[in-house]
Amino acid sequence: MHLRRLWLRDFRCYEQAELVFDEGLTALLGPNGHGKTNVLEAIGYLASLSSFRGAPNEALVRAGATQAIVRGEVDNAGRSVLIEAEINAVGRGRVQVNKQRLPRARDLLGALRVTVFSPDDLELVKGGPGLRRGFLDDTLVSLHPRYDALRSDLDRVLRQRNTLLKQAGGRLSDDVATTLDVWDAKLAESGEALAAARTELVDRLRPAMAGAYDRVAGRHAEVAAVYQRCWGDGSLAEAVAASRRDDLRRGLTLVGPHRDELALSVGALPARTHASQGEQRSLALAMRLASHEIVLAETGTAPVLLLDDVFSELDPARSDALLANLPVGQAVLSSAAGLPQGAQPGRVYRVEHGHLAVAPAA
Amino acid sequence: MAVYAGPVQDLIDELGRLPGIGPKSAQRIAFHLLKLPRDDALRLARAVVEAKERVSFCTRCFNIAEGDACAICTDPRREASVLCVVEEPRDVVAVEKTGEFHGRYHVLQGAISPIEGIGPEQLRVRELLARIEPEGVQEIILCTNPNIEGEATAMYLAKLLGALDLQVTRIASGLPVGGDLEYADELTLGRALEGRRVLDTG
Ligand SMILES: [Zn+2]
Repeated sequence: MHLRRLWLRDFRCYEQAELVFDEGLTALLGPNGHGKTNVLEAIGYLASLSSFRGAPNEALVRAGATQAIVRGEVDNAGRSVLIEAEINAVGRGRVQVNKQRLPRARDLLGALRVTVFSPDDLELVKGGPGLRRGFLDDTLVSLHPRYDALRSDLDRVLRQRNTLLKQAGGRLSDDVATTLDVWDAKLAESGEALAAARTELVDRLRPAMAGAYDRVAGRHAEVAAVYQRCWGDGSLAEAVAASRRDDLRRGLTLVGPHRDELALSVGALPARTHASQGEQRSLALAMRLASHEIVLAETGTAPVLLLDDVFSELDPARSDALLANLPVGQAVLSSAAGLPQGAQPGRVYRVEHGHLAVAPAA
Repeated sequence: MAVYAGPVQDLIDELGRLPGIGPKSAQRIAFHLLKLPRDDALRLARAVVEAKERVSFCTRCFNIAEGDACAICTDPRREASVLCVVEEPRDVVAVEKTGEFHGRYHVLQGAISPIEGIGPEQLRVRELLARIEPEGVQEIILCTNPNIEGEATAMYLAKLLGALDLQVTRIASGLPVGGDLEYADELTLGRALEGRRVLDTG
């Protein structure tokens, strides 16, 4: 799977833009804040229908416009697939594949897969557990679109249940109790399913992460990843029932996979608090590489690598190691500091003031 | 928060009350309407008034009706013993298109959704219970949408109806998950109806 072309209209800073990508490495070079990341963000949007920077849709539409269009031509095993996404500043967007409108945007997932490396990835290790849960869920969605439905089901159950808890105002009337029973059952059902999927994924990620860590760090360390359910080993249904009084008092759902943790450690010490910055960087890279490897193994096609200015954050040794260990396939990298040493892009764009120009390849 | 002068703000407020329209969209639509040629705007206003005056809800099943009872409730060929419970009148249309169902309907006029302030009391649940005995209903098919709110509503009704002496069934899965009935094609929905399973109520 690789991306051949990308067209942008009124996306972020671009009024109109067209890019052609190399089957191997394409580089976007230029100062920060001039539009390099926007191109990667647009590619990512075609894969996940969301911004990997967490930006809301309205932020993706160029100031003054009401609608952005991202169009990509993907080569999937020799077949050409045209993906088009209309992003509206207000209201729902629309998605077309080969000029056929999809009834639901979700049906697009899988037409293009990406693995994103961003300078914020360090937060995967250092930041709160929500980022690690998001990493697991994003990987699951890349493995199979049905996990997107599962994830949004669970979000919706939690929003509904929390609203009901708040409306109850701490009191458990018969009516609230019956309706709460229903949401509890839905929570237990989708919560168990998501936790099981995440646990199974972590079991598969663990060896891949350990291997990737050693290669990126250039030396061996014991790397562990354990998925921890916040309700322990019992059933979620029982835990939710046991938590009902506290939930009512707080107006919040206190147990469920939305409070689980992916515990990471390096050399038997918790990575979040005890690893050095260098170890944390290596671990974050290892997580991305492992996720990429598993998606490749499962789907048989390598996701397109999007490397958003990651090399500038790395010391020379890690930068070399990452470049040397990048999986085979298509990659698009952005850099403000010129090309990392050893990178040999087949195509180079200079990006300045939201303007793209093809530069001679290195 | 009133930002604009009288009539404009009134229009924004009214639009903002519509389902799925947030304050920003309400503002955008309001300004769009103001820019419309007078005739276009009046045509919209007339369509709202006409629909409101000519169309009402069936007093028995709450489907759309021109008069007291809808065309299905007044059709003597429809079986009274089977009720298909749906969320909205448009779902009646979706099920009718399958040609697989010959009973009557009950339209809940929504689904349980605390976010939208809809609990069982806001739905036509009491009216559903009141129909069972007089109409001799023996089976109730829960045909709410295959999304979270629809599933929750079906689960709630299954519990409620479990105490009664009748069969409660749910349309089979296989419908696009997370979607609406209206997205399902006739064949799929027909199969889902045919493959409905008896719910373990209680
Ligand atoms: Zn009727």
